Amino acid sequence: MSKKQNKIHDFVAEGFEQGWKHLDSSQLTSEKTLETDVVVIGSGAGGGNAAEILAKEGLSVIVIEEGPLHTAKDFHMKEDEAYSELYQESAARQTKDRGIKIFQGRMVGGGTGINWTASFRTPPTTLNYWTKEMDVKGFSVDEMQPWFEWAEKRYKIQEWTDSPNANNSTLEKGCEKLGISWGKISRNVSGCLNLGYCGTGCPVNAKQSTLVTSIPGALKAGAMLISKARAETFDLRKGNIVQLKCRAMNARGNSPSDQLIKIKARHYVLASGAIGSPAILLRSESKSLNPHGLVGTRTFLHPVNISGAIMPFPVNGEYGAPQTSYSDHYVDTRIDNKKPGFKLECPPLQPMLVATTLDGHGKTHAEIMKQRPFLQVLIALQRDGFHPESTGGKVYLKSDGTPGLDYPVSNYVWKGIRDAFLAMAEIQFAAGAKAVAPVHRDAGIYSSPREVKHAIAGLPMEILKARLFSAHVMGGCPMGEDPVKSVVNSNGRHHEVENLSVFDGSIFPTSIGANPMETIFASTAKFAGDLAREMIN
Amino acid sequence: MLTRRNLFKQSAFSAITMLALESCYSSPEIPPAPDGLGHDFEFLTLADRGILSKLAPVILAEGLPTSEEQKALVIKEIIVGWDIAVNGLPLLTQAEIRKLFSVLDSNFILSLTPRLLTGVPAAWDDSKEIDEFLNNWRFSDPKSLITGNELRVGYMGMVEITMACWYANPRSWDFCGYTGPPVL
Ligand SMILES: Cc1cc2nc3c(=O)[nH]c(=O)nc-3n(C[C@H](O)[C@H](O)[C@H](O)COP(=O)(O)OP(=O)(O)OC[C@H]3O[C@@H](n4cnc5c(N)ncnc54)[C@H](O)[C@@H]3O)c2cc1C
Ligand code: SF4
Repeated sequence: MSKKQNKIHDFVAEGFEQGWKHLDSSQLTSEKTLETDVVVIGSGAGGGNAAEILAKEGLSVIVIEEGPLHTAKDFHMKEDEAYSELYQESAARQTKDRGIKIFQGRMVGGGTGINWTASFRTPPTTLNYWTKEMDVKGFSVDEMQPWFEWAEKRYKIQEWTDSPNANNSTLEKGCEKLGISWGKISRNVSGCLNLGYCGTGCPVNAKQSTLVTSIPGALKAGAMLISKARAETFDLRKGNIVQLKCRAMNARGNSPSDQLIKIKARHYVLASGAIGSPAILLRSESKSLNPHGLVGTRTFLHPVNISGAIMPFPVNGEYGAPQTSYSDHYVDTRIDNKKPGFKLECPPLQPMLVATTLDGHGKTHAEIMKQRPFLQVLIALQRDGFHPESTGGKVYLKSDGTPGLDYPVSNYVWKGIRDAFLAMAEIQFAAGAKAVAPVHRDAGIYSSPREVKHAIAGLPMEILKARLFSAHVMGGCPMGEDPVKSVVNSNGRHHEVENLSVFDGSIFPTSIGANPMETIFASTAKFAGDLAREMIN
Repeated sequence: MLTRRNLFKQSAFSAITMLALESCYSSPEIPPAPDGLGHDFEFLTLADRGILSKLAPVILAEGLPTSEEQKALVIKEIIVGWDIAVNGLPLLTQAEIRKLFSVLDSNFILSLTPRLLTGVPAAWDDSKEIDEFLNNWRFSDPKSLITGNELRVGYMGMVEITMACWYANPRSWDFCGYTGPPVL
């Protein structure tokens, strides 16, 4: 990032200046071995949250993070900078068949540093499904209630009462007109200036990411942060982990250098997120870590398809809190799973994101870009993992040991995607759209509901034709009480390896069916407290 | 500019093949690379830069400035942006993009078979032909038995990086009605 800095008071940067323990491993010149009570691998929703709880209980904690340490003063609301510095694989991660583009954070703060702040409790239907179908204990609605309350307090999750930007109000208006339900999204912010740049890192420390909450909390309690270090493998002896091997990343951050960092801990907390956590287990090639070959399986994405509309008024969806309204109409009316359910939300609309999301080039693309201020965009998130046909994807290792995800889209999910194209177009026309463009290679721009309906019915629902995205990667280390069917138990503890826990979004046995961050905060708080008590006694 | 490699290929093969194919194809010359604004290129070769200088105007079309002088400048900036963007990608992804360029750079005489399959333009200065080639890749069957999803994926990668490099550039913001990040 450029050296130019915001003029904002940046207490996180100050904390580091004043001596919070931090090592940027790209600066290392010799091998390092460290010892600690707990090493937390990953600093996102799960890792940051767990690190603070463990450190405040008096345990010595080291947090390992592959991404860089950037704080508010470094966030310039510039898309190219942010995507290349703060996102996994420069925001160009894709599924194996290239059909789904995957967004994940890669920075101190993980996904919470660049996410859109939409905060939902786990839907009761999801919790009930886990309890009844997935053999998960302790996750009933009543048992989770105090943990949601805890997370809401810690991360200042509150109703968002400011008026929505026109992108979000169009969703509201369309739903009103059609008589379908919609709601306001709570957000984890404090002093939000409604800028709309959550996706490039909040420049004013308003977003309550782990970067500005629990990581500072952990560091104040004495924890140490190691940034730009990639955890590679666990070494095991007699069924327990004896050391974690990490490699420093090069200054650019896109590949590891030769510099080794070894961490010996009493307990190892894996929190590298979905795809990231399974990758470390797979690389370690230990039967004890993956006794039933389940590591990496049941990885879910909430696959997203997109509908653009040209409105008769300026939308300017690049400004204003990006995600403040939603509709669960197509979740609530399809909860029996006979038809696939999907959640409707809005994305931020900065120009680079818009330009790279549309299919095509040349005149047509340029014309849409010219009308971008009038562009309204809806996204539909498919609720994957609740149907026998919807089993998710599988994490695998590429030739260089980095992870990939093989996620074949099931016919069941494709049905939901087609329905979602139509539902989004109907809402957009109801809200007054002049024209609607489903984001699909073979789609055009349609100026009436009848036309778009006809077109959508004929669009091939195929990979690389419908443009698909995901910002919610979940699963891969599914939890449950049955050691043959799950990787960790309902407390995030590995079934076989006693000194290993997984505290992040990879433990979910299905998708969440709502934006996952609050579920991760709540579940990992519950787990980390138990682990701390056990380690102290 | 012809690279040395291409010159060699031509001299070795021209005698027989040129004669036979002249009627179907115009000159296969790789376009010259525009100057690099002082940037120290790490990934893009001269040939890649030459090709991008021809692809970018067709990909971005009316999105680019109308004045020829401005257009020439922003194309140079886009190419520099390309190099920076690719340098930040994982090495495996870089290798894939290298492969893509090698298909695009390939002198058709030497690599006749892939060229026929891939339809890379023979004349890089004919924007209509370039547009046709891009559309062929765009609408290629992702399940093709011969090329697999490579043409479609190659198209998406090429277009996406070019779009990213341009629409991240403040010079494009007037066109797309963006007043830029708020001033704090
Ligand atoms: C653009 C975007 C918008 C989103 N918007 C929302 C939203 O509005 N609401 C919501 O609820 N959710 C949202 N999400 C999703 C949410 O941010 C994630 O679900 C959540 O952050 C996942 O938490 P986690 O702890 O599982 O992993 P992460 O937060 O992804 O953290 C994992 C960390 O581990 C690091 N890591 C990975 N591998 C290694 C390794 N080998 N060694 C060391 N470190 C490693 C990564 O760099 C990363 O920082 C969004 C995500 C994105 C990308
Ligand atoms: S909308 Fe609020 S939270 Fe998001 S970047 Fe702007 S100030 Fe920060």
